[in-house]
Amino acid sequence: MMASQNMDPAVAEISSKGIPNLNNGTKETHSATKRLQKELSTLMMCGDKGISAFPEGDNLFRWKATIQGPSGTVYEGLLYKLVMEFPSSYPYTAPTVKFETPCYHPNVDQHGNICLDILKEKWSAMYDVKTLLLSLQSLLGDPNIESPLNIHAAELWDSQVLYKKIVREKYNKDVLGK
Amino acid sequence: MATAADSQDGEEATPSPNSSENGTFECNICLDTARDAVVSMCGHLFCWPCLHQWLETRPTRQVCPVCKAGISKEKVVPLYGRGSTNQQDPRDKVPPRPAGQRSEPENNTNFPGFGFGGDGGLHFSFGIGAFPFTFFASTLNLNDGRPQPPSAGTPQYAEEQFLSKVFLWVAVLFIFWLLIA
Repeated sequence: MMASQNMDPAVAEISSKGIPNLNNGTKETHSATKRLQKELSTLMMCGDKGISAFPEGDNLFRWKATIQGPSGTVYEGLLYKLVMEFPSSYPYTAPTVKFETPCYHPNVDQHGNICLDILKEKWSAMYDVKTLLLSLQSLLGDPNIESPLNIHAAELWDSQVLYKKIVREKYNKDVLGK
Repeated sequence: MATAADSQDGEEATPSPNSSENGTFECNICLDTARDAVVSMCGHLFCWPCLHQWLETRPTRQVCPVCKAGISKEKVVPLYGRGSTNQQDPRDKVPPRPAGQRSEPENNTNFPGFGFGGDGGLHFSFGIGAFPFTFFASTLNLNDGRPQPPSAGTPQYAEEQFLSKVFLWVAVLFIFWLLIA
């Protein structure tokens, strides 16, 4: 085990040489790039059901992601698009994640901003794109009513039938254009 | 909110299907095989540069990225693989990995701190300090070294003899008081 551990950095060194357009070659950007590439390959290897993410164009620091509404919730069967922007200090600071698809949810405002502790003060360097998307997916079905961004949605959450009706109406209007 | 952590735990066991074998030795921050590896007291593995950067990023909240236990630079243990320390590449900003701490094994059944029995004998040091005297002493000691004792017969000599007798009595009384109190 130890022998392979000592050998691996050399292998990693070789693989890191293949990084495209590393314009500003600071160490920080380099480590962020390296990690994002690693995350991307992990995500592509194991396709998680219900979430997906891919860099937008050549820019590794801006990703487009989708999450499916978790089954058994009012969001079941709906697909939401998100934008993730990674700072050069990633993973030491959290990425900015926003809903691109309008989302009627207690913790999402009208601009798509998300209020989630692990995106702010509870961020940890071990969270990655996958865990973030899974967390957001579970946030859909399990909102924090205590600190809402969308007060209307928070108040309505308890009456699930009506809530579901509004979610579907808004989704149909905003996304499907019906 | 709480579910964020829950899903996390489930994920940890299998980081990805292809690397699940090596996953045991991957840094929790860069997700690569840990270089200059250190392990926290809570048992989580990191590259030392990665962990150092994490701790630098948030000086006020020093927590383990994995389990959020309190950690500090002093309380991480470096892991030395065979011959790995020679390959350490020089990094300018990162301070050297903290050294491993080595404590001597406890050798016998004797209660540490008490040297009863054996050849050691019993050692006691006894000190009595009271504010005015120590204050006096430190004031007098401000000059370099102690002043020469005055020769016998001078008024200063008589005065010092008197003073030392007074202090002796004070000490005796104090010890007596300690004994009866």
